[in-house]
Amino acid sequence: MAEESVLTDDFLRQLINVGEVDILVGLPTHNNATTIGPVVQAIQAGILRSFPRERAAIINADGGSRDGTPEVVTGASIDDTRYKSGVYALRTLHSISTQYARTPQSGAALRTILAAAELLRAKACAVISPESVSIGPEWIDHLIRPIYKNGFDFVAPLYRRNKFEGLLMRNLLYPMTRAIYGAKVREPYASEFGFSARLGSQFLKQEIWSHEAGETGPEMLLTMFALAGGYRLQQTFLGTKAHVDHGSRDLVPAMRQTVGALFWSLDPSFPKWSAVTGSQAISTEGCEHEVTLEAVRVNRKRLYEMFRSGIAELDPVLSSIVSAATLAELQRIAGLAEDDFRYPAELWAKTVYEFAAAYHTSVMSRDHVIQALAPLYRGRMFTFLLENRDATAEKVENNVELLCQEFERLKPYLLELWNSGK
Amino acid sequence: MQQADLWYKDAIIYQVHVRAFQDSNGDGIGDFQGLAQRMDYLHDLGVNAIWLMPFFPSPLRDDGYDISNYTDIHPNYGTLEDFKKFLTGAHERGIRVIIEAVLNHTSDQHPWFQESRSSRDNPRRDWYVWSDTDTKYRGVRIIFLDTEMSNWARDPVSKSYYWHRFFSHQPDLNFDNPAVREEIWNVMKFWLEIGVDGFRLDAVPYLVEREGTSCENLPETHAILKDLRRRLDSEFPGKMLLAEANQWPADLRQYFGDGDEFHMAFHFPLMPRMFMGLKLEDRKPITEILQQTPEIPPSCQWCLFLRNHDELTLEMVTDLERDYMYDVFARDKTMRLNLGIRRRLAPLLENDRRRVELMNGMLMSLPGTPIIYYGDEIGMGDNVHLGDRNGVRTPMQWSGGWNAGFSTADPETLYSPLILNPVYGYQAINVQSQKRSEHSLLSWMQRMIQVRKSTPAFSRGSIEFLYPANHRILAYVRQLGAETVLAVNNLSNAAQAVELDLRRYKGNILIELSGGNIFPRVGDLPYLLTMGPYQFYWFRLRRI
Repeated sequence: MAEESVLTDDFLRQLINVGEVDILVGLPTHNNATTIGPVVQAIQAGILRSFPRERAAIINADGGSRDGTPEVVTGASIDDTRYKSGVYALRTLHSISTQYARTPQSGAALRTILAAAELLRAKACAVISPESVSIGPEWIDHLIRPIYKNGFDFVAPLYRRNKFEGLLMRNLLYPMTRAIYGAKVREPYASEFGFSARLGSQFLKQEIWSHEAGETGPEMLLTMFALAGGYRLQQTFLGTKAHVDHGSRDLVPAMRQTVGALFWSLDPSFPKWSAVTGSQAISTEGCEHEVTLEAVRVNRKRLYEMFRSGIAELDPVLSSIVSAATLAELQRIAGLAEDDFRYPAELWAKTVYEFAAAYHTSVMSRDHVIQALAPLYRGRMFTFLLENRDATAEKVENNVELLCQEFERLKPYLLELWNSGK
Repeated sequence: MQQADLWYKDAIIYQVHVRAFQDSNGDGIGDFQGLAQRMDYLHDLGVNAIWLMPFFPSPLRDDGYDISNYTDIHPNYGTLEDFKKFLTGAHERGIRVIIEAVLNHTSDQHPWFQESRSSRDNPRRDWYVWSDTDTKYRGVRIIFLDTEMSNWARDPVSKSYYWHRFFSHQPDLNFDNPAVREEIWNVMKFWLEIGVDGFRLDAVPYLVEREGTSCENLPETHAILKDLRRRLDSEFPGKMLLAEANQWPADLRQYFGDGDEFHMAFHFPLMPRMFMGLKLEDRKPITEILQQTPEIPPSCQWCLFLRNHDELTLEMVTDLERDYMYDVFARDKTMRLNLGIRRRLAPLLENDRRRVELMNGMLMSLPGTPIIYYGDEIGMGDNVHLGDRNGVRTPMQWSGGWNAGFSTADPETLYSPLILNPVYGYQAINVQSQKRSEHSLLSWMQRMIQVRKSTPAFSRGSIEFLYPANHRILAYVRQLGAETVLAVNNLSNAAQAVELDLRRYKGNILIELSGGNIFPRVGDLPYLLTMGPYQFYWFRLRRI
């Protein structure tokens, strides 16, 4: 029984007290005491404003915080906030918390939330990042209403982003997901999303939780699962996503969470994605995207140097992953002077597909495959930053679109690699 | 005050309209002789007080709340002698009688108003509130929103405007006039001398008007009421005044004064929240309003009710709550009237016996004197197509026979059609058939009333809410002296587990009051109860 491993007796007792709910908001946390209070208050205000009659609960799955985060979650009150005016609760609104482990793990956190949602028979759920300090009460409405009222199964967010934020999303996750599954989901890896009881329950049953992708990147897997399973998807515009800078040292873990999960999902969903060509827009609420243009300090030179050193140091690894032609091209561009350096879209798409195929065939440890992609991605980042340095919002979007088209055009190449088992 | 004078705290009040209860002379209208014949029924039911709706001479344009003579009986209902015989019968059975004192206004057919309107220099001109314009007291709310456009009406006879807070045929008396106050006391004295035990004072917040105010709950109004109370205590000790003031708890509190104004007042805001809590399956609306309810003087008591002769009033709820109540209890707009819902208890609860029992259980265990509206003890239905609030004022259903045993008249001549539908009709719901079954709602009500009467903590005890983590459970401890009673109510339509923190009662055994069975002793751990859908328990805590 999956639930036995994630639900403590104390948490189960709390769930019994909450009883059946209509709306559930999950909040995975780990040492977020400095940001979590206003986030919880916005969630409470969102529930009370948009779903005043519904039974609702906020479920905090905590990964062993030592800064009192769970206490802040359970103690947060709408009465203490700027949202108090005009908000009145017909019902009891529960905020409960459980510590699923002593160390954070997004898979265990999401699994706890999914299990709670199933036990409480929640009809519509949302997960909110504890770092989303830009959250407004309307986010809850945007994420949950399409599910609760309009029969959607998954709601992905759209954010207002600076043109140099979300680069992994723009350069890899979005283009590849779109090419693979044929759906234009702008944020396939989301820290805020909504899901239906049907989707959550089916996803919970999947044998993913003991795999690394399930442990580290379940949010990405959920999106892929929804795409591959024919569930009804919608995107909804949430506004500005506060940028939390975790520094470049977070790149490899971030790639494990996202790219690793994306690559991992290709195996079970091959019958579905192999038949998909082109891409379609999905139902979207609000603006499709918004790009802001403020200057952002990025050390391009360091990206360039990390790319070059990666190519040099990882030569034996790369030669096992990518084709000889790709490797030669990578080595050629690594030899270019910084001012001349470009990592073209076609080469990038090909590189990514060859990495995905290598991940599929496990030519080496899958984690090493993901780690080896990191320096190459830095090279692509360099090019993206350079290409869009003076670009308008439209131009940035156009460049992203061209990259997506490249991924779509090269999809037969991925299939070829896949079928040949290379 | 003598303990015996606090009888109203231990009362179970039965509200009845003479017209609706029993017709003794076959004219299709209930009367005092008929009511007197049914006193044994009320005695068996266990109630120990009756509240009679207005029975005075009246044009009956507002079901008797438009009085044209305060000191007589409407001929439809009999004579003053009939009333006295009924009163004697009630007292012989230990049942006290509370009558209506509709003080705020009279009928426009009352001789006082006829004189008042006849000329501007008539001695009774100043007995009502007149004005040459309809602009005074601007902004004062209109109560009967569905029928009245203004609180002023133009009188074609005196060619000026008179003030009315209710229907335009009910002009407000001018309580600034000492002669009016004196005459009202004389009216009350008339009935007190006959032997009635108390008055329900109708529409008390509206007695006095002042420019720039809401004309409600004014200090001058309280002064008048205090004066009435002073006279009552001095000349008729042991008699009781009950306030009808549909107000928020803080405003209601003023009507108790320092124990020198009303003995009791209806807790209007609680009633809709009991229904709301049940529908939401959440104790929050109930505990919230009771938390906001201020302490009242020791000699005073709240009056609690589930339903009465009026609509289920939604004046004392927020807009959000009102919308919710309409949607869940009166989706059909014909069920709505003014700011309320004109339905009886059983139809409101979809004839769900478990919910009817739970609501009555809360009515009898929360702090206050419970009022049972006639017919609700057998689960009578209503007829929302009868107009105004007449749908909840249909004849009492005594049997499945001719006219439900209410009258020998031709059915067409009854003051109101009987309820005929297959679910609530008199052939399905009646006293006679329910008396034959010990499991009927009527039999259950009898038992619960007996338990309530034998548990003084319910009528006079303090209350302390427990707040178990399961919000579907409403639990509270009532305490009076050495008697401690625990009430636990499951507001949910599903079985619930609840852990109660009873550590302060460690060592006590719980004894369930209706069956007398013992439950495990309270220990250090949370006390676990499992409860069926809409189930409630009353436990006596005994240290043995």
